[in-house]
Amino acid sequence: MEEEIRRLRLPLSAEDALSLRAGDMVLLDGEITITAGLPTHHRIVEVAEGQREAPRDLHRGSLFHLGSYSRETDGGGFEVLYMNPTTSTRFNPLMPGLIRHFGLRAVGGKGGLDAACVEALREVGGVYLSFVGGGAPLLSDAIRAVVAVNWNDLVSHYRLVTLEVEGLGPLTVGIDAHGNSLYGSLSETAAARMPEIMAELARARAAAGGTA
Amino acid sequence: MPITYDMMKRATAQLYEWSLRKVPDDTLDALRRARESETNQVARKTLGILLRSAEMAETQDRLVCSDSGVPNYVISIGTGVRLEGDIKRAVADGFDELVATTNPPLLKHVTNPLTNERSYRGKEMPLVTWDLADGADHVEIVCQPKALGSGRWAAMEIFTFPTLEQIERYVMECVLKAGSQHCPPVSIGVGIGGTFDYCAKLAARATLRPYGTVNPEPILAAMEERLLRAVNATGFGPMGTGGDTTALGVHVEYAAGHGFTPVAVAFNCWINRRTRARLYEDGRLERVE
Repeated sequence: MEEEIRRLRLPLSAEDALSLRAGDMVLLDGEITITAGLPTHHRIVEVAEGQREAPRDLHRGSLFHLGSYSRETDGGGFEVLYMNPTTSTRFNPLMPGLIRHFGLRAVGGKGGLDAACVEALREVGGVYLSFVGGGAPLLSDAIRAVVAVNWNDLVSHYRLVTLEVEGLGPLTVGIDAHGNSLYGSLSETAAARMPEIMAELARARAAAGGTA
Repeated sequence: MPITYDMMKRATAQLYEWSLRKVPDDTLDALRRARESETNQVARKTLGILLRSAEMAETQDRLVCSDSGVPNYVISIGTGVRLEGDIKRAVADGFDELVATTNPPLLKHVTNPLTNERSYRGKEMPLVTWDLADGADHVEIVCQPKALGSGRWAAMEIFTFPTLEQIERYVMECVLKAGSQHCPPVSIGVGIGGTFDYCAKLAARATLRPYGTVNPEPILAAMEERLLRAVNATGFGPMGTGGDTTALGVHVEYAAGHGFTPVAVAFNCWINRRTRARLYEDGRLERVE
């Protein structure tokens, strides 16, 4: 399966980001920053607003909604034992500002982002990548090194973690840099199909001898 | 010999551990069948990735998902069983023991809703539903760790003498609202009737039914079949990136009630986490699924 899947280097170049289309599948190599926490996102907003110092430079980088378990090792380092996506829509209100401020080339998690985020990604030339939920063994296997773990006063999965990954994925491009969103189009299609779906349910009910 | 505190504590810890590392067999079968019939190429690949993740978790003894959820047990005590000691406390202590000993460690998902503080412990944790089984010679324990990804989308509405059409429309509205977000292909549990709390329980119980089981009530057997087709006609697909497989099963349970009829809808993500086992007086823990 992998041989058909495009492999991209991070940080994603402007050309690579623009070359992707919603529905493409990719594998990633390079540096990613991850967090699954709302408190963490609030801090990143503070960084963007100049109220807090940035522990990492996020400009034109990859910020993913992935929760992780990290712990200190004896040598004073960190290890990340596993990671996995969380629902991105929880961060809808905050993401347009972050995408624009940092010019994020790649964001992602699972479940997608809303129309305001799609527009922000189009403006900066960034993509949203869908990670499989319940993919902890597969996604964690891509971790090659822990580059940094910041904001350690937060519980482990709220920390801002930067990792070196190799062959992360396969990931599906859920939103591309041209304003196409699988989430938006699938929701619209499903809503448009509702009258037809309800009519079919009515036919099936009648066939089953239903009373209503 | 009666079932003791120690036996119960060991059992609850063990069930939680199993639930986090093994996707139930009926669910793996349903995912494989879905991969065969799926017409969308990305969706077929996504189903393959999900199956690979499940296989890696099982063969390498790893967690399938990083969200180990909140501890949730359904415990049915056979009336033919003798119990000894603090059985209720044993369940909580079993979960505490798991948290302390499991490797890799679990993330802190137990949340105080008043402060949003996260830890492993909290008021009324673990969440336990107690039941009785007349005549049974064992205690049946089902462990269903409930995570945010799918748990977030459960919903309930109270209708007055609803038609089947109204009930089915409500289920479909919940499906549209959850859209791509609940880690499909999901198991959908629908509860109809009873009271507010009882209806929610029915929906949650419905998600515990294995795929392929047929409702003994003909009206509901037909409803389950047509709702499954309807949900899959939406096209959200595996992980919500398109395809024919949004749900692997729709299970409906009902209870008589007054004319104010609650309808509850619950979702289980593709992992469909649940482990069911029976604990006997001789200490035997028999895993059912």
